[in-house]
Amino acid sequence: MDATDKGEIHIAGVNKVFGQGASAFHALTGIDLTIATGEFFTLLGPSGCGKTTLLRVIAGFEQPTSGSLRINGAEMAGLGPNRRPVNTVFQSYALFPHMTVAQNIGFGLKMLGKSRSEIEATTSDMLRLVRMEALAERRPSEISGGQQQRVALARALAPRPRVLLLDEPLSALDLKLRKEMQSELKRLQTETGITFVFVTHDQEEALTMSDRIAVMSAGRILQLGAPTDIYNAPVNRFVADFIGETNFLVLPVAQTGGAVARLTLPGGNCAEARLPEGMTPVTGTTVTAVIRPEQAAIVAPETGDLTARVESAVFFGTDTHLHLTLADGQPFVLRRQNRPDQQPPEPGAMLGLSLASGALRVLED
Amino acid sequence: MRGPLIRGNGWKWLLCAPALTVLLLAASGPLLIVLVYSFLSPGNMGGVVWEFSTEGWFRVFFRRDIFEPDLVTLNHAHLTVFWRSIWLSFQTTLICALLGFPTAWFIATRPPNTRTVWLFLITIPFWTNLLIRTFAIQEVIRNNGTINTVLLRLGVIDSPIQMMFTDFAVLLGMAYVFLPLMVLPLYAAMDKMDFRLVEAGYDLYASRLMVLWHVILPQVKPGFIAGSILVFIPAIGAYVTPRVLGGGRTMMLGNLIALQFGQGRNWPLGAALAMLMLIVVVGALIVYLRALGRMEGERRG
Ligand SMILES: Nc1ncnc2c1ncn2[C@@H]1O[C@H](COP(=O)(O)OP(=O)(O)O)[C@@H](O)[C@H]1O
Ligand SMILES: [Mg+2]
Repeated sequence: MDATDKGEIHIAGVNKVFGQGASAFHALTGIDLTIATGEFFTLLGPSGCGKTTLLRVIAGFEQPTSGSLRINGAEMAGLGPNRRPVNTVFQSYALFPHMTVAQNIGFGLKMLGKSRSEIEATTSDMLRLVRMEALAERRPSEISGGQQQRVALARALAPRPRVLLLDEPLSALDLKLRKEMQSELKRLQTETGITFVFVTHDQEEALTMSDRIAVMSAGRILQLGAPTDIYNAPVNRFVADFIGETNFLVLPVAQTGGAVARLTLPGGNCAEARLPEGMTPVTGTTVTAVIRPEQAAIVAPETGDLTARVESAVFFGTDTHLHLTLADGQPFVLRRQNRPDQQPPEPGAMLGLSLASGALRVLED
Repeated sequence: MRGPLIRGNGWKWLLCAPALTVLLLAASGPLLIVLVYSFLSPGNMGGVVWEFSTEGWFRVFFRRDIFEPDLVTLNHAHLTVFWRSIWLSFQTTLICALLGFPTAWFIATRPPNTRTVWLFLITIPFWTNLLIRTFAIQEVIRNNGTINTVLLRLGVIDSPIQMMFTDFAVLLGMAYVFLPLMVLPLYAAMDKMDFRLVEAGYDLYASRLMVLWHVILPQVKPGFIAGSILVFIPAIGAYVTPRVLGGGRTMMLGNLIALQFGQGRNWPLGAALAMLMLIVVVGALIVYLRALGRMEGERRG
């Protein structure tokens, strides 16, 4: 077994082109990906970036235009969806309306030719797993959206696939139910040990649930890594902007050395910023640096790294977003945790800002 | 809020009054006349004599010896026609279903903008008169018609195959005429079908056949029900097709009834046969829908 055989799903150089000639559309471009067994893996990206297409390629509903896909070491080319050890939880749930909840859950096992007693046993296990025992004899049209969601999950899990594919399974649920299902999904994944490939356009959902995230845009994977890596070290402007909130500052380079550069901040102070690998900007040129809104603290005016004027304050419950203007006019958003004994500063007030060490990062582009 | 609604419903039924009037006059009226006629005596030159008699109904099932009226035997000719009508209509429905399903599936899986074209093509035969279409079929299958001529020329056969005036000819004609009536409701059902369910079926390890059986057929069942009712009912009363393609030998109920009102000059018998046909159709419908209901019950249970 060579190194590329490791892992549950191995995708190498996959391209997917819809249509031909002038109307050809590149939905996936050069996808290389290895997903480990038992991993909670998330495909994250804006609508239309190719997440569903990639999931459909893995499930077997679409044939890649080029490239190879292996699941558990076996080449999948030419195998239909019914011959892959993969099940899908569809965005629309796609429950069979003419079957009861229990029959829906048992369908996969029935098609695999399992015995009646085994189907019944597994079905009731699954009903218990998703807490739907009481509604086993209902039709999909007779249960709520959240319940349908759980049935769809149970139906996909019942045949014990090696991989479960989930296409934005929570997007149709309201916020409270979505939070509930997020932890439910995590619990199911831990309990079953099945590899989950989860698709979402919600960065918060991706950050809280995943072991690893692939950030996609326009058919490409831009960054692949653990949630903390992606949040703390976005590789480019798109990722920095898409994941969480970010301040972009255009700053002149004062000095470079090794993996860091000293940048001149508005107001004249200097601060150290981490450089991406292989980048050595020339002193005197300007670069774009990013810093998260929560990684700066308010200090007395004239004592911090930066001086800023308050434009407005927006209350968010757990925290307040302060919209500030720096000395040279660049905007800066600061997030400050709320405490009952603190009043938000008035618009027009001057503040000092102290940047957390290591918070400032230079972007490649 | 509720006041106007209730008042509104009070007069809204009037909207269907014109349709109800037409239905009542055009359907129940003649039906009532036929029912009454079936219990009268035949006139000499056709028509009826206003004299109560059950002879019409009696003759539907039995026949009297011409010389000895008390000698009663089962009327095998009538029973044969009955049986043939039911059997041929059943087969027609089956053929239409078997041919109609792939046709409707083909149309339903075309890109949306080309579906209209295909539907349009399906309905083109409706533009031509039924009689002309039936004669066209005759032209194809008669002894010196297209098929036989070609086969004879090619030397496949030595003498023409007798296709006209057989049950086969009637079946072919009826299947051809009634096929669109099956395709259209099937298409309507497939159009409403959620094709993502098909993907869900494949995803859950079903083969093509299993997806067809467990996912697609249950979804398009309403189309099959509507289609088979639309085909079976006119088929059992078909007149033109069995007349042209079946001739006098393979008569169906419609022809038998027409015969009694025409040459037979026995209107009460014709009326009784017509009533019986109605009973057969309604009976068949009830049996059919009951069976479907039972299947549904088993599936649930
Ligand atoms: N069958 C198809 N034919 C043509 N274009 C398609 C097809 N499926 C998807 N696309 C295109 O591919 C792109 C990616 O789609 P999709 O994978 O559904 O995005 P996402 O799930 O990330 O929102 C979209 O621009 C979409 O229009
Ligand atoms: Mg999608």
